[in-house]
Amino acid sequence: MIKKIICLLLVLSLVLQGGCWSRKELSDLAIIMAAGIDRTPDGNIRLTVQIARPRAFGGGTVRPSAAQENNAWVLSQTGETVLDAERELEKKVSRKIYWGHMVILVLGQEAAREGIRSLINFFSRSPNARETLWVLVARGKAEDLLNSHSQLENTSAQSTGSVLRDAVGVPVMLKDLIMMLASKGTNPTLPFLELTASGAPQGPGMKENIPEAKNKQQKVTETHAEITLTGTGVFKDDRLVGQLDVPDTRGLLWLTNKIGPGEITIPSPAEPGKKISVNITRGKTKIEPFYDGQNARFEIKITMEGDLWEQQSTEDLTDPKIFAAIEKRMAQRIEQRVRSVLDKAQFDYGLDIFAFGESFHRKYKKEWAALKDRWDEVFANADINIAVEAHIRRTGLTTKRIF
Amino acid sequence: MAAFFKKPLRPRRVNSIKNGPYQEKKQTHHPSQSLLLSTDIDSNLNYLKAIFQDCSDVIFREFLLAQNEQIKLALIYTDGLTDKTQISEQIMRALTLEIPMVVHGEEITRANALHFIKMKGLCINQVRESQKIEEIVSAILSGETVLLVDGHSTALINDIRSWEMRAIEDSKTETVVRGPRESFVETLRTNTSMLRRKIKNPNLKIEMTKLGEVSKTDIAVAYIKGIVNQDLVTEVKSRLEKIKIDGILDSGYLEELIKDNAYSPFSTISHTDRPDRVAANLLEGRVAILVDGTPVVLTMPYIFLETIQTPEDYYEQSFFTSVIRILRIGSLIASLTLPSLYIAIISFHHEMLPTPLLLSMAAQREAVPFPVFVEAFLMEIAFEIIREAGIRLPRPVGQAVSIVAALIIGEAAVQAGLVAAATVIVVSLTAMASFTIYYSGSITIRLLRFPLMILAASLGLFGLISGITIFVVHMAGLRSFGVPYLAPVGPIITGDLKDSVVRVPWWAMNKRPYLMGQNNPQREASRLKPQPSRPKK
Repeated sequence: MIKKIICLLLVLSLVLQGGCWSRKELSDLAIIMAAGIDRTPDGNIRLTVQIARPRAFGGGTVRPSAAQENNAWVLSQTGETVLDAERELEKKVSRKIYWGHMVILVLGQEAAREGIRSLINFFSRSPNARETLWVLVARGKAEDLLNSHSQLENTSAQSTGSVLRDAVGVPVMLKDLIMMLASKGTNPTLPFLELTASGAPQGPGMKENIPEAKNKQQKVTETHAEITLTGTGVFKDDRLVGQLDVPDTRGLLWLTNKIGPGEITIPSPAEPGKKISVNITRGKTKIEPFYDGQNARFEIKITMEGDLWEQQSTEDLTDPKIFAAIEKRMAQRIEQRVRSVLDKAQFDYGLDIFAFGESFHRKYKKEWAALKDRWDEVFANADINIAVEAHIRRTGLTTKRIF
Repeated sequence: MAAFFKKPLRPRRVNSIKNGPYQEKKQTHHPSQSLLLSTDIDSNLNYLKAIFQDCSDVIFREFLLAQNEQIKLALIYTDGLTDKTQISEQIMRALTLEIPMVVHGEEITRANALHFIKMKGLCINQVRESQKIEEIVSAILSGETVLLVDGHSTALINDIRSWEMRAIEDSKTETVVRGPRESFVETLRTNTSMLRRKIKNPNLKIEMTKLGEVSKTDIAVAYIKGIVNQDLVTEVKSRLEKIKIDGILDSGYLEELIKDNAYSPFSTISHTDRPDRVAANLLEGRVAILVDGTPVVLTMPYIFLETIQTPEDYYEQSFFTSVIRILRIGSLIASLTLPSLYIAIISFHHEMLPTPLLLSMAAQREAVPFPVFVEAFLMEIAFEIIREAGIRLPRPVGQAVSIVAALIIGEAAVQAGLVAAATVIVVSLTAMASFTIYYSGSITIRLLRFPLMILAASLGLFGLISGITIFVVHMAGLRSFGVPYLAPVGPIITGDLKDSVVRVPWWAMNKRPYLMGQNNPQREASRLKPQPSRPKK
């Protein structure tokens, strides 16, 4: 019995002698909410981090003071690699840098033009950062974008994360970006964001510098700015080559079958000056590739369902003919959108950014081996047919216009 | 390694324990063991007086039979354990005043006096004869009244016991909203009568023995013949027979002396003060042990799932009961793991919290000087102190203590920045959760919470999971009188799952628990599902 107890104590001491080696108290952590990467003129990495300041969140009895406090601490350090820059940061930050809750990774526009593979390698390798963080491209420098506040959320990083998740633009997580970079069948796209003036500042800490306004008009810097989604960055392999605006981004979402909630506005068939808006409830895209040994052809079939939620005109919605006319116009509008972004991809950039190559690979496995290295060329020359089917399922709370 | 554990450290002194000094002592202690009465009443009285020397509560009353004054009688009883009115009215009065009325010319002689007194003289409904001095002594001490008759070596033992006892009250430890309120009292006979009232069947057997070399405590083993597995009864009785102890003041003595695994923190014997719970257990084929002098009755076998079951479960709607049982399982898990989970997440696994929660936690922890383990550990100990104080404190100061405790734990500690509000929430939730489950289960959980907290603080979730694994492995190895402790989940017994985490309605629970009632498995008729009778065509 005594020997048993001694043995048990020895085993227990084995547990405790480990000394809680990976234990990190919550109050010993510097919680990184966002990181931004730029390149310095001499080719080094400039890492900017937004560190949450827990004291400002006022949990429990610690109330924040009446004046707006800075919820986050934004600081930058330069290093030869991202990890090197992180080490540089440790010289200033009193706590252990903790990447686990990072929400967004911002890539500076200039740095993205030179290639993003080397920028994101650290985040994909390090076990500390999540692969579900949102990656985006900043107009201008990432550093400037991070140096901002949110009116609603605790930090601008969380607010940006929510905007991206709602899929107004292409939502790209780190894991998606890694897959897009690894695939020959597509080129990466990343949401493109910038600071835009958004109402009066709520306190002394809420004024931002909008980068391009700095020189032109000093007054603009006195405004509050929110990080805003303004389009989609188009990459050729890992280099940023161009930008799509918001309507083209919607087209991109249709083509990648990622369309979320949204609306489509069309002119009324009866009164061209007045508009009708339809809320999209469901959108689905099917892409079927065909290959005759020479040219690739794609048949795209889009089905959309929506609710008519706004009608400026006065046509009778109970009339099936009018209803059909509206649906037809909607289909045309979607086709326009899609065609517009397809044309840009095929003729302006010559890049497959819709992962058509992936679906081609799935159907023509043997042929793909020969085509994969010149896929963008094949894609640029491909015929693409679009068929859109749009349905209005409901017309909101009223059917006929009653006022 | 296993062999190493099995090897005894030194030769066990089994023999010296088995035939220890106890049995020798017993022989010297009781000289009257096999002695019989003599025919001479005076020598008998002297002998008994010697035994009861300095026992001021044992009363000797000598008197003469009314009819024939040659015959001397003696009454011996313990004051306080007998009904004095009955002694005066039914024995003394009957034998000294009223006996001439029933004689009808018959001659009472020394030879037929005993028979005459028993048959015609005594107005007592329970009278037996005995010649053994040991039996007489024990009868006197258990409250019976002994009548010695001159010239006879046989004593008449009259059962007119009566003593002060607590009234039957509401159950203190297991209260119900719906269901019987009564609870056991300290008197064994009252307790058995409560069982008998619930099960009016000659097959309800209540076997009496005495345990305790000095205390001579009455023990009753109750079971229902025909339902119970007879081997179980034999096993229980054989475990009881092995007990040699000076006294038994509560059934807790027995529980520790007969339980299956001596070192396990889990109890494998259930205890209750509710007659309905005992009756239900008996009907399922279990055995109950009632001990005189305590309202707490043991029932066995006991399985772990009973921790989350209450008597009320069987009286309340089955749907409601099932939901509440699931809630209790949650409480059980929470009261075991919540503090350790909290410690593990705050000090190791920050990724597991959603970002806003993490930030709010981080904000709370900013002001706190201690590591989360120290903080939670101190708070748990503080709570245990309050709980212990709550049980022990004299009633009048109760309110003062609870106010101070609430202020210290709830308010001051947080405001002083010593403890994070989240820790207080975790600790109080843990405490409340532990009250929702069966008490003897909850004290085990209370105990096991602390090693889990240490494991969580040193190894994080890995430590927590290994701790729980150890507990589960241990529990899977436990047996309660042959029944696996984790049944019907441990070895899966599909039929018994009807009354485990959920309880199906009574019309569907037609079998007794498989491992206890397989002797006589059918509990009710099949097709009992109620439905309105159909109109005849």
